[in-house]
Amino acid sequence: MSIPLTQGAIEALYKGLPIKNPLLQLLNIRQMTSNSGLPRFRLMMSDGQHALSSFLLTTQLNHLPEQKLLVQHCICMLKKVVTSTLADGRTAVTVMDMEVVQSPEETGGRIGNPTPYNKDGQMSSPAKKSSATLEPDSSSATAPGPSHRSTSFSRSNAAQSSPTNSPMKVSPMKDTISPMKVSPKKEANSPMKFSPAKDTNSPMKASSSSPMKVFPISTLNPYQSKWTIRARVTNKSNVRQWSNSRGEGKLFSFEVVDESGEIKITAFNNEVDKFFSLLEQGKVYYISKATLKVANKQYSTLKNDYEMTLHAHSSIVPCEDNQSIPTMNCNFVQIEELENRDKDAVIDVIGICKKAEDVSRITTRNSREVSKRALHLIDSSGKEVTATLWGEEAEKFDGSGQPVVAIKGARLSDFGGRSLSALFSSTIMVNPDIPEAFRLRAWYDREGYAVNSQSLTERKSTNSGSRMNWKTLSDVKNENMGHEEKAEYFSCLATVVYMRKENCLYQACPSADCNKKVLIQHNGLYRCEKCNREFSEFKYRFLLSANLADFGDNQWVTCFQETAEVLLGHSAQTLGQLRETDEAAFDEVFQKANFRTHIFKNRVKLETYNDESRVKVTVMEVLPVDHREYSRRLLSNIRRLAF
Amino acid sequence: MSRIEEIKARINCSMLLQHINQAVCFVGRVSKVHPSGKTFTAVDGEGKTVTVELNCCLEEELSGVVEVIGLVSNKGVLMAATYNLLREDRGTPFDLELYNEALKVIHDFPQHYPFEAAVSG
Repeated sequence: MSIPLTQGAIEALYKGLPIKNPLLQLLNIRQMTSNSGLPRFRLMMSDGQHALSSFLLTTQLNHLPEQKLLVQHCICMLKKVVTSTLADGRTAVTVMDMEVVQSPEETGGRIGNPTPYNKDGQMSSPAKKSSATLEPDSSSATAPGPSHRSTSFSRSNAAQSSPTNSPMKVSPMKDTISPMKVSPKKEANSPMKFSPAKDTNSPMKASSSSPMKVFPISTLNPYQSKWTIRARVTNKSNVRQWSNSRGEGKLFSFEVVDESGEIKITAFNNEVDKFFSLLEQGKVYYISKATLKVANKQYSTLKNDYEMTLHAHSSIVPCEDNQSIPTMNCNFVQIEELENRDKDAVIDVIGICKKAEDVSRITTRNSREVSKRALHLIDSSGKEVTATLWGEEAEKFDGSGQPVVAIKGARLSDFGGRSLSALFSSTIMVNPDIPEAFRLRAWYDREGYAVNSQSLTERKSTNSGSRMNWKTLSDVKNENMGHEEKAEYFSCLATVVYMRKENCLYQACPSADCNKKVLIQHNGLYRCEKCNREFSEFKYRFLLSANLADFGDNQWVTCFQETAEVLLGHSAQTLGQLRETDEAAFDEVFQKANFRTHIFKNRVKLETYNDESRVKVTVMEVLPVDHREYSRRLLSNIRRLAF
Repeated sequence: MSRIEEIKARINCSMLLQHINQAVCFVGRVSKVHPSGKTFTAVDGEGKTVTVELNCCLEEELSGVVEVIGLVSNKGVLMAATYNLLREDRGTPFDLELYNEALKVIHDFPQHYPFEAAVSG
């Protein structure tokens, strides 16, 4: 028994309507002569009801009939077709990809009684008539551009499939088939053939209002100048001025993406003025007439061998119909993978912004002032990394609500282990409308928020900029640390064995940067001597006295706000409230925090208070123990001591 | 299997032959499970392989890092009395190479790691 054919497929294909993988029977196949010498096969296909002889086989599939795989009465599945209209108004359907699914022996002859399909519904003898007229044109036929009109793509734009274009007809030119050099990375499209630029019948020259024939980005190359792409701007940089020995000018660049790939486009000087305000990130445009050249990989990390430069004749027109264009072409790397990537690699990441620090202004080496903001991103690998935003991006970033942040084209650095930095060319997206973002959001809400993540950017440089100075607690006394005028810094691993609950909190001035203790006045207001003001409220701040111990010794230390919060796991405000309302819960916080082991980064200094000098240790930072790192250090110490 | 109550020295593959007929504790990554489910091979932190024989069939999927306690046969096969898998899906993954380094230290400086005294004392 034969496989059933797809009803109505002939009509759909003729009309250029989307139809997925239709099954048709080959009624007849003819080889036509062609100018280029390559054989061209014409097929008559039937869906059991109608037959159409205007099917052309792309020369890429010539091997099918040549190897007798495609023979009369076999059943085929058309996987990719392009319906186009010839200059004389007739329709041709070019088969770009097909598969023979049943041999003629199995089908048992012609299926049904198909009548020739004709637009007007008239009967016309199948092969002869149309072939005669079709031949001279299609003999040197080139396959039409592999564009949106391909009906196998379920998203085909009916708007574009207008009958006025004549991709099939090529006037008697020399070599009309020029094999395209397709960007090797894109494997999706079989190599296409295009009519050469000089062709006067080129669809490009059609009236300006007629829809242009759109080419996929992946097929662009410097040897082909008549093309139009339809793509979405994924990233638009700011205008940048430059001035060097060769001159000066301005430029801006942007990246665009379509279904087939992405490419970087740069505009210089005059074109900056022309196009900068027209282009908006996220919108789709028709772009044509620009110079293609080999990509300078130093400035771009897009997957395209080429990049584009706009010139005086370039045309950029907004496009309304943009559903089919993907919004972003990102290759996200899991945060835990970052450790395995090389420093200076440019990568895409996506993660939940667990915490965004405040924006700060710093002065660069060139004495330029720039804003920066650090974001802490976490993803489903459970690892965290710090990403730094600069300039305007840093200033306008809003990290409230722990949004999903995606960064395309961030640079990986080995600062603090592994961290990310946004580049001039990076794109920052907050809560992007992509499936990856939704997945992350769901994971975070479900379990991610509670994950005790380990940050790859943990090992920040110490204040003194040097490596960690590892000591044991007994070293502090034995080495008389901190006895000089200058403060000394060291790191150690120790366990909290006692914390003073009483007097662990004090009432501080509520002003932003002032932490001075406030005095309670008789009128019930709180007075800050430093600000010289009175306030009706205060903020709680920590001043925690704790005793740390390791195998050899113990040491009293002082922890201020940030470090105390890490040890206790609660903010000063929370604890202040607990102390007033629920003493049992307050005690429990201390119970839970006791006998926990951490890495402590400390400052030890001689302090004088009323003629009395004592060495005081203050905790600068509390970090979780990285057991592997600690073990490695111990092992190397042992080996060193053994010699 | 009363030997199992004895001290179980932690060893890797290179130390197997020094512990013949002794109860040992071996940690390694499961390499191949025999179709019968009665035996499997494991690789230690140095990359060497040992064959482990079980007294009862494996009922579950065995993969990842496993800790096996058993007796070393005179052919160098580990006759397992009990085993437990170290979970890889949570927390820091087990660093087998680091474990091997620690193992070497314990064996190089037994005077500093008197485990026998700790148990019996």
